[in-house]
Amino acid sequence: MTSVLPQAGIPPLEVSDLTVRFAGLTALDAVTFTVRPGTVHALIGPNGAGKSTCFNVLTGVYRATEGSVRLGDRELTGLSPHRIADLGVARIFQNLALPPHATVEDSLLLGRHRLTRTGFLAAGLRLPSAAREDRRHRARVREIAEFVGIADCLGHPAGSLPYGRQKLAELARALCMEPKVLLLDEPVAGMTADERRRTAAVIAGVRDSLGISIVLVEHDMGVVMRLADSVTVLDFGRRIADGAPGDVQNDPAVIRAYLGEEATQQ
Amino acid sequence: MSDVLATEKGAPGTVRSAPARRLPGPRAWVWAALAVLLLALPFYLDRFWLQAGLFAMAAAIGAIGINLLTGATGQLSMGHAFFLAVGAYGYCVLAGDGGGSGGDGLVGLGLPTWLAAVLAVLLAGAAGGLFSPIAGRLRGAYLGIATLALIFIGQHVLFNAQDLTGGFNGRDVPPLNLFGLTFDDSELVVAAVPFGSAEKLWYLGLALLLGGALFARGVLRGRPGRAMNAIRDHRIAAGVMGVPVARYRAGVFVLSSMYAGLAGVLLALVFQRTVPDYFGITLSLEYLAMIVIGGLGSVSGAVAGAFFVSLLPQLLTRYSDALPLVSAPGTGGIAPGEASRYLYGAAVVAVVLFLPGGLVRVAARLRSKLRHIPGDPVEER
Repeated sequence: MTSVLPQAGIPPLEVSDLTVRFAGLTALDAVTFTVRPGTVHALIGPNGAGKSTCFNVLTGVYRATEGSVRLGDRELTGLSPHRIADLGVARIFQNLALPPHATVEDSLLLGRHRLTRTGFLAAGLRLPSAAREDRRHRARVREIAEFVGIADCLGHPAGSLPYGRQKLAELARALCMEPKVLLLDEPVAGMTADERRRTAAVIAGVRDSLGISIVLVEHDMGVVMRLADSVTVLDFGRRIADGAPGDVQNDPAVIRAYLGEEATQQ
Repeated sequence: MSDVLATEKGAPGTVRSAPARRLPGPRAWVWAALAVLLLALPFYLDRFWLQAGLFAMAAAIGAIGINLLTGATGQLSMGHAFFLAVGAYGYCVLAGDGGGSGGDGLVGLGLPTWLAAVLAVLLAGAAGGLFSPIAGRLRGAYLGIATLALIFIGQHVLFNAQDLTGGFNGRDVPPLNLFGLTFDDSELVVAAVPFGSAEKLWYLGLALLLGGALFARGVLRGRPGRAMNAIRDHRIAAGVMGVPVARYRAGVFVLSSMYAGLAGVLLALVFQRTVPDYFGITLSLEYLAMIVIGGLGSVSGAVAGAFFVSLLPQLLTRYSDALPLVSAPGTGGIAPGEASRYLYGAAVVAVVLFLPGGLVRVAARLRSKLRHIPGDPVEER
């Protein structure tokens, strides 16, 4: 794994008092948590708890009504998505966002967008600088594909791959952005047990050998408990628990949110 | 981690059945034959067919432009005809010899014609740039409607800015002069064939189409093309991946307008007269039809569609009197012109119904079939 070097200077991601309202509906209500550098931070909660909304604010797709999101000393709220991406925040989507007809390699190269410069003129005229840049970044894309374990799929259209590999390709595409923070929205949903195990291993590898901070939204509690260094639990847009996985698991408020009122009384 | 790596390390060489450097394949021969044919055609075809071919080349350039915008980036434009008009009239105004020397009394700056052609293309790009704040923000049907407004504004100006455009009757197009060669009907005999404007423009058209096609292909296969496709396929994901969506949309709009402007200049040179009627909503729709029929998002699709849409009506008109049930105009049956329009309409519907993906998809399917004949190395997908 010497070819993929750990990144230095990963800043903490601090979310404080984040509130998002849509026309009277409060999707997030003063949510606060901190993702420590190089850790996996899980964001869990029942459906509709506001997890995806939170991701959409972190990536600039939605605007925060109040509160702040800081990456190191940079404020993220109010920035447009591509500026946030420029600061090193990458994301994979809950539903596949991989174009089915493009080859996996092309999709991964899109991840290099922020790190490359070739414009319309250079690409249209096939300037040597464009060709050089293309070669260099294709080599890097191959390294990352090998790291994730999909190097043999690079030449295939993404749509021809099994679901689990498509999800891995999307993870590889996010890694191609050389991110500091990686947001994973249900990375193992819909996968077979085997694919889950493999994906979890890749995610752990990303944290351990690249040192990237990871925010993980996932319903599979087995994966969450195995991977997460800390957990924040949301319910109806509020934070109801925050801490180490073991503590959160036994928190009465969390059990109530997941299993209903009676469960805690028994 | 290491277990993940170990299982999937797979030899990198197996990704593609890497075609190493070998003798020119059948594809290269087809291209060479096509090039020779295209270069030789002016020596054999009459003026009618040369004009039809030139018309198709201009349409192909314009179609490449709208395919970059609508096919590759997913931005519906109904205003392509407007930018063609900017190119065509821009060239006339910039190159026209002004009111003085017995001209038609219309405004003309009297610039060298090659410079006027270049500036006309840039002017079309600038017009696209002026519109791009809107193009960067609207999408889907809303952008379609906003660009539709351009057509109406454009036509109004063309009909009423008499000094610039000559109004309803249009204005004459000054012939292009390039390196001392004038693209008009002054005769130039090459190998005992008299070369008029059509013959000379044929080579210019070929060069422009080739250049435009190669440029667009470079754009589509490079970094900008990937970003454009990402905007089309998943706008939100494109932004999150670091693509400045609004800026890219605006940039593609400008580029597409420049292609339209170039097509406009070439059309003006072929027609030798520009009339405002031509640059209407029908023309915009025709360009959309070209890219849908040819294949969305690719250069070859745009070119194939442009040739189909612009040559088929001409072919049908030319030969429709040989069809059954067709009679001379005024004698009661279906006139040749009408018959050609029916057939053209039917062909368009047939292509859209039975060939989703357009003409290029058919070509691709044929190619893969040929490739799978026994004995040939089989591609992996």
